[in-house]
Amino acid sequence: MQSAFTSPASWVRLLNLAALAAICGALLFAFIWQIAFNEPPCPLCLLQRAAFAMAGIGLVLNLRFGYSPTHYGLTIVSSMAGAFAAGRQVLLHIAPNDTGFGSPFLGLHFYTWAFIAFCVLIAFCAVMLMLEQQRPVPSPSAGAARLANSVIVLFFALSVANAISTTLECGFGACPDDPTGYLWLP
Amino acid sequence: MVMMLPFVTAAIGTWQAMRGKRGSCLGWWLATFVIFVAWSHHHMTGTLPISL
Repeated sequence: MQSAFTSPASWVRLLNLAALAAICGALLFAFIWQIAFNEPPCPLCLLQRAAFAMAGIGLVLNLRFGYSPTHYGLTIVSSMAGAFAAGRQVLLHIAPNDTGFGSPFLGLHFYTWAFIAFCVLIAFCAVMLMLEQQRPVPSPSAGAARLANSVIVLFFALSVANAISTTLECGFGACPDDPTGYLWLP
Repeated sequence: MVMMLPFVTAAIGTWQAMRGKRGSCLGWWLATFVIFVAWSHHHMTGTLPISL
């Protein structure tokens, strides 16, 4: 029996899965940080999270339907949009003596990490498009399919969790530029 | 501005992909992107505190 990731196509699948898992990790880490340190995200932070969610959809499509330039295109356009929002936030806090928004992690603020992550995602898609050949995608083994489904379900759950969290923070109106609490929580 | 909307549409898009509906998923991604652009216009068109 062939192992889960032996053929080149399986490696492409593994890399797409790893990229989606990385997006899940970024969204999950931001979510945990938000709750643990009581730092509600600002509107630009939420836009970056939304861009991660959009970028992940391209990878989900790759895993679910096979690899296509259209799917990579979705991830690239989403990552460009996210990099735009993150870059804008970096510029907002680039002036001297500006301490930035929120707490830094490993010396960089989350929006700076997000900018780096979006650039890496764009580079990832570019490399994958260069390496991939047009060929039918083999069906994954049961173990690989189960693993992919688990990551996709986690990604879906994180999108739902962000929708709920954002509603609790901002209600159905605009979010404050510098949020300090949750509108719908006592 | 309902900030949770892009997460809702992204979740629906992912759900459609999980159900095997590629076209619908692409449609929901496009809806998410349109909302993202609208929100960007609302939140990212102010003046930056830098001088050139």
